[in-house]
Amino acid sequence: MRFGNKEEYVSGREIKVSVNNLTKCYDDLLVLNDINFDIYKGEMLCIVGPTGCGKTTFLNCLSRFIPITEGSILVDGAPADPRVHNIAFVFQEVSAIPWLTVEDNIRFGLRIKRLPEEEIERRVERMLDIVGLRKYRTYFPQQLSASMEQRVVIARNFAINPDLLLMDEPYGQLDVKLRYYLEDELMRIWKELGSTVAFITHNIEEAVYLAERILILSPKPCTIREEVIVDLPRPRRYDDPEFVRIRDYVTERIKWW
Amino acid sequence: MILSKRGASLIAPAASIGVFILLWGIISLNVSAEFLPSPLAVVKEALRLLHANIGGTSLWGHIGWSLRRVLIAFFLAILLGLPLGLYMGWNRVCEKIVSPIFEVLRPIPPIAWIPIAILWLGVAEGSKIFICFVGAFVIMILNAYTGMRYVDPLLIDAAKSFGANRTQQFFNVAVPACMPSIFAGVQNALSMAWMCVLAAEMVGARQGVGFIIIQGMDLNKPAMILVGMVLIGIIGSLLAATLRQAEKLLCPWRRELV
Repeated sequence: MRFGNKEEYVSGREIKVSVNNLTKCYDDLLVLNDINFDIYKGEMLCIVGPTGCGKTTFLNCLSRFIPITEGSILVDGAPADPRVHNIAFVFQEVSAIPWLTVEDNIRFGLRIKRLPEEEIERRVERMLDIVGLRKYRTYFPQQLSASMEQRVVIARNFAINPDLLLMDEPYGQLDVKLRYYLEDELMRIWKELGSTVAFITHNIEEAVYLAERILILSPKPCTIREEVIVDLPRPRRYDDPEFVRIRDYVTERIKWW
Repeated sequence: MILSKRGASLIAPAASIGVFILLWGIISLNVSAEFLPSPLAVVKEALRLLHANIGGTSLWGHIGWSLRRVLIAFFLAILLGLPLGLYMGWNRVCEKIVSPIFEVLRPIPPIAWIPIAILWLGVAEGSKIFICFVGAFVIMILNAYTGMRYVDPLLIDAAKSFGANRTQQFFNVAVPACMPSIFAGVQNALSMAWMCVLAAEMVGARQGVGFIIIQGMDLNKPAMILVGMVLIGIIGSLLAATLRQAEKLLCPWRRELV
């Protein structure tokens, strides 16, 4: 069974990130086995897989925190490098910087990239509006709630106009209400900025809600089992029969027993 | 009458010190003045010493001498200990080279350095400053090093994902993340230097608060000894309070912690 049409989906999209024969071993342990896929410009891609299948290793390879054993990751045709490309990373744990105020947190990445000061200010003002934290710009993360803190991190990452935004179960530790809220927020920012997002999650419902395309990973050694194109109209409804059908299908495919 | 919160926070310490002095007074009434002088006798002695010279130097002069030694040693300890400690925590090679030597030198109390300090630097200022320096330096290194080891790796990764190089990771993330620990170190280093100066001054000094205590002992004046001790306590806590204020200014994000 397939959803959507790959040719139709691909036509008119340009490739932003291209992953070829990606393999990662820790000594003898093969974690990622010959993974090939493309991420298209402006795409919302969700990657789902069972716990412990190597999702995080996979992201760490993409962000180049760890060396890859074999294969290549190309961004706009050049090997991925955080110093050259704008690759942003939202971690599972909230990583707002405690000694910086909300606005300085947003400036943080821009300063590291040494952007001109007026450009930094322009982007900070824009992001403050987009994530709705203008009122709290001089607050420290400790004075904010968990969801506001995660919004600070999201703003900090979107501010650098990322070529690729990697999100590693960013809402895993939040309760359902906050998660729904932040998912909608993410959709809004993504549409407004046209960024390319790779969103890793083990929550299938979340993946179907957000994704234009879902990659299903198999357990170790991790390979891509299938890709599912989700062409449901937005805003999506969790109780829409089509939505449920896709969710059940993905759930069925993800089972490894 | 309902006390305001601020009023209560002032009254509580005043009351506890008041009760302490009261107990001291009651005990001193029941023993000989040679054994424990009364609080009043100590205040009288302090007032007398304000206008008299002790060993050729005024009371303020003695305090000045002690403070001068402590502050020179303290700033030297920060200047050398802070970068060394931070770098030990940051760089594995530096850690491997420095920490074995450091682990052996660390348990030696500063007082044990007195004879060798006098041998190397003479009985003048040098040896006294050196002893204070040893005490403060060890604490400074230790706190900077521990702070650096416990920097949240997530924050370093966040900086890496923005393409920060090692220098940027160090100065933009690691060092600010250590600030609370550095500040704890700075405070402890200063109190340690202040404790060491008294030990150093009790061995062959002509000036300093420690000398007042020794002089009191030599002249068999218990009140004078106690004046010296009270001075040490007051100055020590004032130094600590000053640093706490500095921390509030320099680490504003920690203000909400309490």
